[in-house]
Amino acid sequence: MRRGARVSWMLAALLCAGAASAEDPPKGAPPPKLPPGVSAILWKISVPPGREPTPEKVALGQKLFLDKRLSIDDSVACSTCHDPEKGFVDGLPVSEGVEKRKGMRNSPTVLNAMFNATQFWDGRAPTLEEQAKLPILNPVEMAMPSPEAVVAKVRGIPEYATEFQRVFGREVNFDDLASAIAAFERTQFSGNAPFDRFLLQGEEKALDASAKRGWALFNGKARCNECHAANATSPLFSDQKFHNIGIAAHKQDFVKLAQQGLRVVRTGDEKQIDELALQTEFSELGRFLVTKQDNDVGSFKTPTLRNIGITAPYMHDGSLATLWDVMDHYNKGGIANPFLDGGMQRLGLTEAELDDVVAFLFTLTDERYTKLNAKELARQRGRKNVRPERDTAVALGKKGSLGDIGFSPNVQVKNPADVGVYGDETSEGKTADKAKAPAK
Amino acid sequence: MTHRKKLLTGLCALLSGVGGAALATDSVPGELPRHELPPSKDGNLVLGLCDGETSLEVKGVKEGEPLSRAQALEVTSKLMEEWRRKNPDARWDVVAQAPAPKPPGPANPQGPRSPPAVAPTPQKPSAGKSNQAEGPTASSGAPGMAEKKDAHVQTGHTYGAFSQRDEELWAASTQAFVEEGNRVFHDADALGSKVAVSCDMCHPDAANTHPETYPKYQVQFGRVALLRDMINWCIENPVRGKPLADNDPKMRAMEAYIYAKRKGVPLEFGKH
Repeated sequence: MRRGARVSWMLAALLCAGAASAEDPPKGAPPPKLPPGVSAILWKISVPPGREPTPEKVALGQKLFLDKRLSIDDSVACSTCHDPEKGFVDGLPVSEGVEKRKGMRNSPTVLNAMFNATQFWDGRAPTLEEQAKLPILNPVEMAMPSPEAVVAKVRGIPEYATEFQRVFGREVNFDDLASAIAAFERTQFSGNAPFDRFLLQGEEKALDASAKRGWALFNGKARCNECHAANATSPLFSDQKFHNIGIAAHKQDFVKLAQQGLRVVRTGDEKQIDELALQTEFSELGRFLVTKQDNDVGSFKTPTLRNIGITAPYMHDGSLATLWDVMDHYNKGGIANPFLDGGMQRLGLTEAELDDVVAFLFTLTDERYTKLNAKELARQRGRKNVRPERDTAVALGKKGSLGDIGFSPNVQVKNPADVGVYGDETSEGKTADKAKAPAK
Repeated sequence: MTHRKKLLTGLCALLSGVGGAALATDSVPGELPRHELPPSKDGNLVLGLCDGETSLEVKGVKEGEPLSRAQALEVTSKLMEEWRRKNPDARWDVVAQAPAPKPPGPANPQGPRSPPAVAPTPQKPSAGKSNQAEGPTASSGAPGMAEKKDAHVQTGHTYGAFSQRDEELWAASTQAFVEEGNRVFHDADALGSKVAVSCDMCHPDAANTHPETYPKYQVQFGRVALLRDMINWCIENPVRGKPLADNDPKMRAMEAYIYAKRKGVPLEFGKH
């Protein structure tokens, strides 16, 4: 047996050596080792050809991402609001730029942002490259006055002058700067969560009973999967669409605001929309600023749920402190407004069911943040009795009429989540394959 | 006789054959009949074919002993030979592929009755591909996407606003489902076989599965069967596994694979 082990170890070493000495993968191919929660197909669809991250670009991009000198007063870097230690968010309701100036939106995580169909809460940027430029120029974020000013400042830093020459073979320019940052961001995929071990690798114990019930509710009574759908091909837990779920409705007269907004944005370019989105009351119009379509008033992009446990506070304005608050919001069917998404209905989830869904959501955190996840779970649980969004009477149908309430799934009979909702690979199949592997 | 008709006749011949005789015809209602295999005098392994009649004693292998894939291949081809000997006139198509689409015929001499109101809808990726084509590639539309800002403008109803990206992901998800079915179809262990027999041994590339003819009356069952009923029948004999539940992901994936192999063939439910 010992000899067998040694032989297989040597074989593994040989295989590794072979892989290391092999030539670069073909152009456009995803990295050879993707975590289980990231599919090669999604990677290919999401990374435009020619923009595959190269090690040189990534290293430069990472340096730029962490460099406060990209801001007007050397006080704010990309990583100020997208802190790698905190899951690439800042933990604040709305982000703070230079001189503690506040914007209107909550900083979304960079983790898996490379897979988004559009960037920003309102999708105003089509690519990571376009996205990276705007915060540098926004007066409440990094506040550089113009692209030319950014280029002049970076050219004045000798290490960058030589580094850009080495990586891009030309002088510093704004496009290359953005593409280096984007290259770094395209390495920040994340798909190593307990949920992946449970579903894709057949590890039954990776989820506890409560989280398993939560997964059933997620696909059933709680109807989360209607927008936060995921499968093995697209394991993002987001439809990448824009929905008005009524988050800002209690402080806005949406109709009036939309009328005013329409006058303002009719001729708006990307930069103007960026400033409206972060500095004015029109921020709450969301996707409408970009499309000018009535049905987009107050709608925001469905964010990915991966790493949701460590990216509090929640929603585009950071107005909900915990995942229990988020669940309370959905449980009562959101907040009524003329543009409320038709999919918003009261859910009728009981307290125990809310706990189960939240338990499930905390299993979507990447393993590199396990400690932070546990800390966050404890913190959020500690706030379980502070529930500003809770309205049990509406949620359970004792008051108002917001739609039909689904039934609680009996997971003893059948867990709706088992039937090909997530993917096609069965835990059983995976386990069988794993058991077979060493014999071959 | 058209090509397809010949294929169907072949299947029909196999499935009905001299059938029934070996089956328990007085089975309890609600319980499917079973293919009872004649016991071997020496305790050798006896393997049954899915016609519900033909069986073969495997010399040198005792009941309960495992077979290798090579042995299983040998035994299954002997079984098939035996069936062909008994049914010399039956046709057994060896390819699963749908017939190639006909080249466009000559234009209607009288001209169309009226001009088309709208341009024909281009084939969407989610509609799948012909079964000869490759899977989605890196260049299946992604390059232009990121550049087209307006491509992401959501018009009309939120839930109807699907992008090319959505369709690519749907197509890829479906393809992954089919691939999983392909894996199970060829994997005796995944099918729970104790004798190393997998579906592909009698149905290479899902040949002669004819999913487009289900539901239909199956002589072996004495009742109308769905495709999955027939899959389970084969899983019992000759695969020698435990029938899968209707909603078993392996069953679902195999159905997807079998249907995918017959893309483009007209639906002919009930046909023999």
